[in-house]
Amino acid sequence: MENAVSSSTEERSHKAQKVLERMSKKLNRQMVGSLAACVHCGMCTDSCHYVLSNPDDPTYAPAYKADRIRKLFKRHFDWTGRVLPWWVGAKSIYTDEELEELKDIVFGKCTNCRRCSINCPMGVDFATFNRMARGLLVSVGVMPEGVAVVSKDQWEIGNQMGVLKEEYIDTLEWMSEELSDELNDPSAVIPIDKMDADIVYSINPREVKYDPRTIADAAKIFYLAGENWTMPSEGWDMTNFGLFSGDDDLGGAVALRLYEKVSELRGKKLVISECGHGYRSTKCEGPNWAAHTVPFEMESSVLTMLRYIKEGRIKVDKSKNKEPVTFHDSCNNARSCGLFEEPRELLKLVVEDFREMYPNRSENYCCTGGGGAMSMSEYTPRRLKSAKVKADQLSATGAKVVVTSCHNCVDGLTDLIRHYKLGMGVSQLVNLVANAIVVPEQVAVPEAVETEVPKEAVAEERALENYKILVVDDEPDILTFYSTLLEDNGAQVIQASDGDTALALARSEKPDLITLDLSMPGTDGGEVFESLRKDPELSNIRVCIITGKPELRRLIYDREVQEPEGFLDKPVDDETLLLNVRKILEVGDKPGE
Amino acid sequence: MSDLLHFSEHTLQEVALVIMACVYTLRITWLLRFKAGKERQAPTGQFRTNRKKGILYSWGNIAMPWAMESTRTKKFFYVQFVIFHLGVVSAIGLSFIIPYAPQLLDSRIVSATLQLSIAAAFVVSLLRVYRRISDKYIRAISSPDDYFSLILLTVWFFFAMLSVPSRPEAGETILLIYFWLTAFFLIYVPFSKISHYLYYPFTRYYFGKTMGYRGVYPLEKQSPPGPVSMKG
Repeated sequence: MENAVSSSTEERSHKAQKVLERMSKKLNRQMVGSLAACVHCGMCTDSCHYVLSNPDDPTYAPAYKADRIRKLFKRHFDWTGRVLPWWVGAKSIYTDEELEELKDIVFGKCTNCRRCSINCPMGVDFATFNRMARGLLVSVGVMPEGVAVVSKDQWEIGNQMGVLKEEYIDTLEWMSEELSDELNDPSAVIPIDKMDADIVYSINPREVKYDPRTIADAAKIFYLAGENWTMPSEGWDMTNFGLFSGDDDLGGAVALRLYEKVSELRGKKLVISECGHGYRSTKCEGPNWAAHTVPFEMESSVLTMLRYIKEGRIKVDKSKNKEPVTFHDSCNNARSCGLFEEPRELLKLVVEDFREMYPNRSENYCCTGGGGAMSMSEYTPRRLKSAKVKADQLSATGAKVVVTSCHNCVDGLTDLIRHYKLGMGVSQLVNLVANAIVVPEQVAVPEAVETEVPKEAVAEERALENYKILVVDDEPDILTFYSTLLEDNGAQVIQASDGDTALALARSEKPDLITLDLSMPGTDGGEVFESLRKDPELSNIRVCIITGKPELRRLIYDREVQEPEGFLDKPVDDETLLLNVRKILEVGDKPGE
Repeated sequence: MSDLLHFSEHTLQEVALVIMACVYTLRITWLLRFKAGKERQAPTGQFRTNRKKGILYSWGNIAMPWAMESTRTKKFFYVQFVIFHLGVVSAIGLSFIIPYAPQLLDSRIVSATLQLSIAAAFVVSLLRVYRRISDKYIRAISSPDDYFSLILLTVWFFFAMLSVPSRPEAGETILLIYFWLTAFFLIYVPFSKISHYLYYPFTRYYFGKTMGYRGVYPLEKQSPPGPVSMKG
């Protein structure tokens, strides 16, 4: 096999040569079977959401995409292709441009959802060798910028969104306070690094960044269930970009970090919050990538919540969730881990009106944001176009809310719902369970406080009163959306649609916070940010970067200036924006206090 | 019967079969040289299933058109698949019946069944040729081997269909063409996509094993099309 690769190295680029050499080490019997067995029957074609939404383009067909990898295999590893390459469609790869073309296929035209695999009469598992191809390209540095950035963050910072330890702990403490306030119980807190806990709870960094409400909701459920639980101060990220990048080394290192932390805390069980790829990576693939036998139990938080209800540890009132909901099965949960009945069982216990989506369970369509697609902004138009089939599937249910047990799906669905103007909300089971939970007498919020809720709600609505916020974005729709939202919450908003105006307004208005887009005509957001930080008069202004190009994170964090107080990826929904603005401004403390 | 036809029915076929068996042995040896990936994690998913059930379900998949959306929603294509492969079995069977058990063809039922099955497969293979040429998705993934293999089988079906009566006294040309095509087919198969059936047990075994261990296989029955409300 080595000879087959090295015998035709003339005029082959260094990267192409490395890809072929490493391919021989990556191939296992399952992959070889899948690479050799395709009969080009085309039965997989209609199973792919890319095909269904792009019916005029055969290059989206799973078999076509698979053949871009298969031709390399045939040319170098299958002797028919070595002897008569043109006859069986075998072809080698020589240039870096060809590697870029392959990148476009394996990252940009497939979410590794595995739907074609379960529809192949031959049992060809395309997703498995597509992931292998991703890994080969990543090993020679050929990958979308977003994949490089996220992988780097996970290698270096320990989580895929670059959340610093202080930020994580701050968020837990913040949510802990919210929980204590909500339950009017000072003992209702999030325990951190508690030894010998029955449950160690791991989360997705997205929860810290964009959706801390899910942490508070989970904490509320654990607390009311009387659980002996904890969250680790480090090694808490259960997501794993190694699954998406195909980098088994990264996958193993990330999984091991989590396993070792649980062992260090002597935790009895690792509970994984609702995240499809996190669940699959941590529970199913991690032990294989890390070659590590995990000495404790692992389960999805969906099972944990279901068990609490079944055991009577928490009580729920489904009438609190009246809106019609449907359930979206995450590909990684349903098609790769068999987790599809429990979420439904739980959902039916906490909502009044559940409407099944069709197709569902292992046959469900991808949210179209899977396989790391949400971090590859160069493919966003393609992703949204391919989401048409999902949009049709969602709207056929007539539901007002789509529930999913996956953070990636939350983002993918939110984006497509906005794009296709479906007018649906997206939620997770933890939010619905927390909403439906019946707070027992001993921890019930005193009635007097309950009656004041409307006042608090009013106060919350004006929570940003006395704060001046400069919103900077070159897209008028976004500018209007952010401004209206912040004004509705009491903030005084000023707007700038380019970098120079933003700097001028920052100097003249001295806002408390600047929400800053990065890609803008003229002076871009990165330069504006650096100018702000280097100006002694402006350096204290809090900045929240909001960008549709998460791969530009590096341009901000690599600068030798103080980091921004917040960093959000577009699209941002109203709740996420408000939560983060309140967090950055430490709302509750008035300016100057 | 001429010496040439006798040679074609016996020695030629035996040599072709030996070559095919040798190449198949090499193919399987080659596949087994690759290490099988293993899963060391705890099983996941539904408790009703396991590795063994997953493997059996995966192997049986071929006979369960309801099991996959791709076959469930393309019933006519599935019927074509069945007819085509029954035709292959009949045409291969014929190459053994004529030299080794010709008396079986004296039965009108046997000969009619064989001829009908091969004729139906011939028609299906013509449809498949048309599909491969006219469908842009299939055309985009087709190699010369895909076209050649299909055309080879189509022609082979045609001559097999005509050979069923097996009456050399009425002229040996058809039988000679059929047996030489069969020999070529046997030798060519291991080098072509037609050898897929050799891989089938392996690919489906491993896929079923993984999916069974992870609680995915056997697949759950789908809800009926359209949203289904389960109020309360």
